[in-house]
Amino acid sequence: MTNIAELLETAGLTGRGGAAFSTAIKLKAAKENGAELIVNVCDGELGAAKDAWIVAHHLHELIEGAALVASGRRPRIRYAAHRGSRTAGLLATAGLPVLEVPHRYVSSEETALISLAQGGLARPMTKRAPFVFGGRDSQGRKVPPTVVLNAETVWRVSQIHRLGAEWFRSFGTSAEPGPRLVAVGGHVARPGMFEASAGVALTDLLDSAGGLPPNARHVGVGGLGGVVLTAAEAQSTIWDTPGMKRHGGALGPGIVTVWNPAECPIETAARMISYGAGESAGQCGPCMFGLPALAADWTDLARNPTGMGRDHLLLRLGQLERRGACAHPDGVARFAQSALRTLAPEFAAHANHACQKGRTQHAQFV
Amino acid sequence: MSGSALWYLSRATGVVTVVLLTIVVGLGIVTAGRRRPAGESATIVMGLHRWLSLGMLVFLGIHIVTAILDGYVPISWLAVIVPFTSGYDTLLVGFGTIALDLLVVVMVTSYLRHRIPERQWRVVHWASYAMWLVALFHGFLMGTADQAGLRAITLACAAIGGLMACWRVVATHSDKERRRTIDAQEWS
Amino acid sequence: MPSSSEAARIAVDRVLCTGHGVCAQTLPGAIVLDEWGYPVLRHEAVEPEAAALAVKLCPARALYLR
Repeated sequence: MTNIAELLETAGLTGRGGAAFSTAIKLKAAKENGAELIVNVCDGELGAAKDAWIVAHHLHELIEGAALVASGRRPRIRYAAHRGSRTAGLLATAGLPVLEVPHRYVSSEETALISLAQGGLARPMTKRAPFVFGGRDSQGRKVPPTVVLNAETVWRVSQIHRLGAEWFRSFGTSAEPGPRLVAVGGHVARPGMFEASAGVALTDLLDSAGGLPPNARHVGVGGLGGVVLTAAEAQSTIWDTPGMKRHGGALGPGIVTVWNPAECPIETAARMISYGAGESAGQCGPCMFGLPALAADWTDLARNPTGMGRDHLLLRLGQLERRGACAHPDGVARFAQSALRTLAPEFAAHANHACQKGRTQHAQFV
Repeated sequence: MSGSALWYLSRATGVVTVVLLTIVVGLGIVTAGRRRPAGESATIVMGLHRWLSLGMLVFLGIHIVTAILDGYVPISWLAVIVPFTSGYDTLLVGFGTIALDLLVVVMVTSYLRHRIPERQWRVVHWASYAMWLVALFHGFLMGTADQAGLRAITLACAAIGGLMACWRVVATHSDKERRRTIDAQEWS
Repeated sequence: MPSSSEAARIAVDRVLCTGHGVCAQTLPGAIVLDEWGYPVLRHEAVEPEAAALAVKLCPARALYLR
């Protein structure tokens, strides 16, 4: 019998939920600790759609993958999906145990799912040690060993088991092997799900969806926890970790969104940052106060861009990293930082009391 | 020491204990409505809260020992920890015993706070209010007419403590408010 | 637990932290407070004795060592 952990080690499978942690290591720890498995099928990030796509098209393989990953003779497996979603419906129809998740941005975060699975609220927990070993929440309540894997990761496990590690490594780069699902959406002719791999040109991803429209100005990679590039940057960026790192980002959970050129991008960013602020779980001071303050500062800067205002914003961004129980403030800060840099021309226009989009709400600069 | 001297010492240290207890509970209550940022004052308040509670134990210890050693009324050593087993004034001495038992649990859990689940510590610490109330009943009702001064002090502690407890119910601060607001949203 | 010759690494349980600010007093070099009173960790490595005291004195039990 193939040792599945060794197979995944050889294949080099890493988590497809965005964190890209070695699946082999996670699997080994899960088996050693008899951990319960939660398959994250939430598509929690803005613009995400691959988890739903897997359930709609490859449910059997997903179930196979879960069986391979789960520990013990009577493994505990649950599929986490947003309450009332089509995915949740499909899973329930298939007779699978569904963990119903509220429609909150952070509720699909790893520790939030674990908390919900234990009968608590779908809010992140402080992670003193990975919960695969079992642990306690902040109030001291015991949490049994639990591991959370993204749906695509689990699907890939079954593929590797069936098709082999070599097959997996025939895609992507040696550092980041394997096929990856990417949802390309927004202002494109044919939004949809595409299979790609690390190392492709971002331009190729966009071409699959009908290409980057000539009037498109900005492209988001990774949703609210990701970054935004100019159209020119997008056309010359390779979609892999080194390529994305140059723009302050990462591969992320396979989301590319072309921003609507009809809206002022500073406004688009403002909407996303405000959304992020409103989605704080309200458990950590730096997030529940810091994110709304960031959103307010962004709006102020949009209305009246000054060097001091920009410095103030950058200071705020620095105070958001690693000061929460989860990475939500880090994600929003990363996005805001990227937008601040990328939208420098638009901020300059606002400083000159003009907005290139000429929208009414920016006329108040006059 | 003569019997009546022990008895007076017991009552005196008893009142000092009640005063210190009221201060200690008060210091704990004060953290409920802190201004931001807190810092220095918070450290002083917390430090006093811990240290005065230890100091209070000294007076409490003398209060208990002198009450028993004074042979005039029969209070056994057992009655110190088991409520309502005292031959003298069973009910009121019993209140004192209950207060002591609660105090022991509160202080032991606080001493072992990092080794027990936080939730357990919290639940037990809430019992401090009950402990304070029972101690006050014990102190006030056991006083005699010729000790009007001591009774007045006890009454003052009751009044101040009562006000502080009311304040605790309504007091709030920005952290609590923000948590409460977001807590009311959909999370399950 | 690290030996007394090594520095201890301090961490904050951000869920438990409600901004009392005592840690900024007990670990003045390592911790400062932001505008809302929550700790900013300047660095994680602190002298073990100071760390142990700070952990004990946090009213919210939000400090821990790792």
